[in-house]
Amino acid sequence: MIQFSHLTKAYKKRQVAVNDFSLAVDVPIFGFLGQNGAGKTTIIKMIVGLLTPTSGTITMDGKPSTDSASKRRMGFMPETPYFYERMTGLEFMRLCDALYDPHAAAGREARYVALLKRVGIYDARDFEIRTYSKGMRQRLGFAQALVNDPEYLFLDEPLDGLDPIGRREMKEVMRELKKEGKKIFLNTHILNDVEEICDAVGIIHKGRLLYAGTVKEFCKGKPLEERFMEVVGEHEKK
Amino acid sequence: MRHIWVIAKNTLKLEIRDKILYGIIVFGFLYVLFTLFMADLVLKELPMVRSFGLTGMYFFNAIIALFLGTTSFFKDVDRKVVYFILSKPVSRAQFLIGKFIGLCLVLFLTTAILAVAYIGLILYEHGGFDALGLLAIAMQYIEMTLFIAFAIFVSTFSTSLLSIVYTSGVFFLGHVVSSILDDAKTVGITGIKYKLVEILYYIFPNLEKFDARNLAVHDLTMPFAVFGLALAYAAVYIVLLLSAAVWIFDKKEI
Repeated sequence: MIQFSHLTKAYKKRQVAVNDFSLAVDVPIFGFLGQNGAGKTTIIKMIVGLLTPTSGTITMDGKPSTDSASKRRMGFMPETPYFYERMTGLEFMRLCDALYDPHAAAGREARYVALLKRVGIYDARDFEIRTYSKGMRQRLGFAQALVNDPEYLFLDEPLDGLDPIGRREMKEVMRELKKEGKKIFLNTHILNDVEEICDAVGIIHKGRLLYAGTVKEFCKGKPLEERFMEVVGEHEKK
Repeated sequence: MRHIWVIAKNTLKLEIRDKILYGIIVFGFLYVLFTLFMADLVLKELPMVRSFGLTGMYFFNAIIALFLGTTSFFKDVDRKVVYFILSKPVSRAQFLIGKFIGLCLVLFLTTAILAVAYIGLILYEHGGFDALGLLAIAMQYIEMTLFIAFAIFVSTFSTSLLSIVYTSGVFFLGHVVSSILDDAKTVGITGIKYKLVEILYYIFPNLEKFDARNLAVHDLTMPFAVFGLALAYAAVYIVLLLSAAVWIFDKKEI
């Protein structure tokens, strides 16, 4: 279970990106919804240790999420991933794995190949990443997040930049991962994706959590987009 | 320690694929060859040939160190490749130290290539195996590792372009600061002005400690104590710079 307790992140110019955010997530696929700049990326960056909270805590099964032991159990895909352009896809997978266990990388080629096949860029494994399209980069970003066979996956806008077929394939991979017992924390602003694959959602607006629960309960029989606009609109009026 | 080594190896692998680096090495190599023709101009006087060769190597190594130190670390952070690395069980200190070691390995490789060219040149000019020249090159290498540490330190709070400006400035000051202090003593400057010069002397690295070129050119051996002192000086300075860099990088929002 991922537990956020009174999490706050304020930047230097007193701009508060996340404000007293508390939530417990314990579902296979959790969709974290919000507009651009709502605070989704800030939260995911705090989970994986790229940003330090101003106050509050994040735990994964009771341990701080930024502990080395916790990090070994998680995979992370950043929004618009950037890579070492002169590396090949396969080399990048090797590097990412070596960062978990420097000795394991030697005998794990088959695993990298399987992961690259799974995300659909096996044929480009020996090409330099600078030749990859945006969609291929997203797929490689996804593959490296799986390299350590994590229990928890934190994906920041993983379907951005993918064509319709790519989106469908990646959603299918997420469903498979769910069947394998992995827990996925999915940041997105695309409502259709959430409706399709998430077991529960969290709505964040201007750094504050507005709702957390199942999609069905949230929608109350209305389309997700309409409900989302309503909830955000109500908060704006306050 | 293992993570540091993974980062260092990766840095080495990536930098040796960089075409800019090859360009600089080729120019360095050409300069050493050019010294062959210069040797004819100075009637094959060996000290002059050595001086041309070692100075050229120093110049090109300084460009390589400046290039590596100011771009490699900064690019990883600025282009957000660090997101992949630091989200794994790798600390910021491990990443920074790994980058430093990796860049030192790249510099070692380029220095070795240029050193082979230089030693070959002196052999060709019937100067025999230039062991003192090699020692001077080793001292240059140590100086350049300090230079890289400074460039990485500056890169933790500055842009790549500004890092070049700051690091170049320190490179210049590092070579004149001991002369300025000596001059201040000779001229008899006292009071606050002298204190200021003294502060400058202690803040900026004294890069003249690593200059063994003049000794090598004139076939003079560097006393072991001087060599050891320079080595210890570089080690302490590098540890201080990297510690400060880690401290700043740890607090940096990325």
